[in-house]
Amino acid sequence: MAGPTERGETAIDWETIERSPEFQELVQRRRGFVIPCTIFFLSWYLGFILLAAYAEDFMGERVYQGLTVGYCLALTQFAMVFGLGLWYLRKADNVFDPLAEKAIAAYSEDATHPGERRAKGESAGSASTEAVR
Amino acid sequence: MTFFAEINVEAVVIFSIVLSITLGVTYWASKRMTGASTFYAAGRQITGFQNGLAISGDYLSAASFLGIAGLIYLYGFDGFLYSIGFLVAFLTVMFLLAERMRNAGKYTIADVLSFRLRERPARTAAAMGTLAVAAFYLIAQMVGAGVLIQALVGIDFSLAVVLTGAFMLCYVIFGGMLATTWVQIIKAVLLMAGILVMSLFVLERVGFNPIELFNRAEDNTTAESTFSLAPGTFLSSPIDTVSLGLALVLGTAGLPHILMRFFTVPNARAARGSVVWAMFLIGGFYLLTTFIGFGARAIMGEAGVEAAGTGGNLAAPNLALELGGGEGTFGGDLFLAVIAGVAFATILAVVAGLVLSASGAVAHDIWSSIIRKGKDSEKEEVVVAKIAAASIGVIAILIAVIGGEGLNVSFMVGLAFAIAASANFPALVLALTWRRFNTMGAVWGVLLGVTSAIGLIIVSPKVWPGADSDTGSPLGWTLSNPGIISIPLGFLGCILGTLLSSERGTDRSFHELYVRSETGLGSEKSEKALSPH
Repeated sequence: MAGPTERGETAIDWETIERSPEFQELVQRRRGFVIPCTIFFLSWYLGFILLAAYAEDFMGERVYQGLTVGYCLALTQFAMVFGLGLWYLRKADNVFDPLAEKAIAAYSEDATHPGERRAKGESAGSASTEAVR
Repeated sequence: MTFFAEINVEAVVIFSIVLSITLGVTYWASKRMTGASTFYAAGRQITGFQNGLAISGDYLSAASFLGIAGLIYLYGFDGFLYSIGFLVAFLTVMFLLAERMRNAGKYTIADVLSFRLRERPARTAAAMGTLAVAAFYLIAQMVGAGVLIQALVGIDFSLAVVLTGAFMLCYVIFGGMLATTWVQIIKAVLLMAGILVMSLFVLERVGFNPIELFNRAEDNTTAESTFSLAPGTFLSSPIDTVSLGLALVLGTAGLPHILMRFFTVPNARAARGSVVWAMFLIGGFYLLTTFIGFGARAIMGEAGVEAAGTGGNLAAPNLALELGGGEGTFGGDLFLAVIAGVAFATILAVVAGLVLSASGAVAHDIWSSIIRKGKDSEKEEVVVAKIAAASIGVIAILIAVIGGEGLNVSFMVGLAFAIAASANFPALVLALTWRRFNTMGAVWGVLLGVTSAIGLIIVSPKVWPGADSDTGSPLGWTLSNPGIISIPLGFLGCILGTLLSSERGTDRSFHELYVRSETGLGSEKSEKALSPH
């Protein structure tokens, strides 16, 4: 198992994979998700910090008895982290991982998902290593 | 604090139980040590869930548990801001680094940084960034351990530091990452259970109505209290609050002992899963700091401030004593001892992770790749790593003992986060995403990030506590947290260094790093996948 993979490593044509439509689709779709999410979470977080820094009175206002606006906004930060975490996990499993596998299918000898792709992956792997040599 | 003056028998028993379990784990792991991959990366066989627990155990230091509880107790809402920053930081880790680190790296963050750069300068810079963060963080934790154990168990500060250091070295040297991982997992379980039980006890006092907790906390303030449900008590300068907020949210993504954990899982999918597990565990923990911190204020009030010590670090243990039935009762002593044991396990797990990452920087980056130029055997590298771990550990113990209780723990943790955010984070992110980025960019970025963070802290008012603390700094500098200046400087160094040098390509191209980090093709295999079974 280790032999062909190691020899295969030096033979991988990285530039061709990078230019392939599958890889381009992968990075574009992942970027299309990660960049807006990153802008959103950093803005929401820094907005919260700016309010805590410059709007002390607003943050100290009461929503109900001892419950302040600041604490409610703090809870939205927790909700944001949990929500984005789960959303990214789903998106990556359903969209990004299959695309990544497609992009490197010619070299794939992935032992992590046995079963369905084993036969296909192995034949594709050996065929491609023969081709590059 | 007089009741801590003699040795606390319950605490000694609990500490011994914690130590025996972790030593058992270390013995088990030492039997499974096969080489560098086990030593640095636990053979890359840790599952996503296990790694999520271990990340929590690696991350939640005594500063998170005792420190935040104490800050909320003393200052209210401002203390909770730390909880938020420490948690949201994991989104930065998840979106930008976790999977890419796993795909591109081997044992250290320098592997990723220097992947397609000229190896010697880039690796040296990355190793410096790692060592700077690890050193300050490690000394802070050791001093914290000494203060805590002295107060809770009744043994001398120096002896407490030496004991902590000895166990930390034992885990790392005999059990490597495998033992460290399981120590961190055990600690995470203990810490989560401990804070959950404490929170339930607190909630029971207020009829399980969290709002009543805030009401009582506010009722329990006097004219001289610093506590408030509104911000602005601890972080009184707005620009400092923003600066700290930035360092917290970006710093975690530059902490070498956290990033190193992503090398211990079999693939990027597990790395991703482990961040989300860590988010829920760490998020749950920080949510519960509400009940401990505000609960301490609601239950102990202003009367407990003196016993809570500097920074309120003993507020949580004192609260446990109170919840268990108070001073002199069996329940109180037992609860106090359990929480002290949890805090001790907390520190041990964090310092072990730190020493391991620092030993990787010395042995894998400086010794094996730079001095021996990759010609040493794997066996030699592991031996050097163990020697490095022992040396780093002994130096940290000595500095902690000589510096003593006077060393300001929160200042050093803040410095570690500032360096991580200003030096390691910009260089790593740009190395992985910016095609043009080159060796000069990495070197300039790390150097400017480290020096500006350290320089700005040295002139900050925290270091010069004069009679008039507002003008304590010799330069009249008023910013305590350097992040807002040093993080942009770190990025600027990376960008200027890159643009001002005309560097030719190296052996490994950006194409390779880019495809490998995005897809995992060619990434390091786990030992399970390599073995014939």
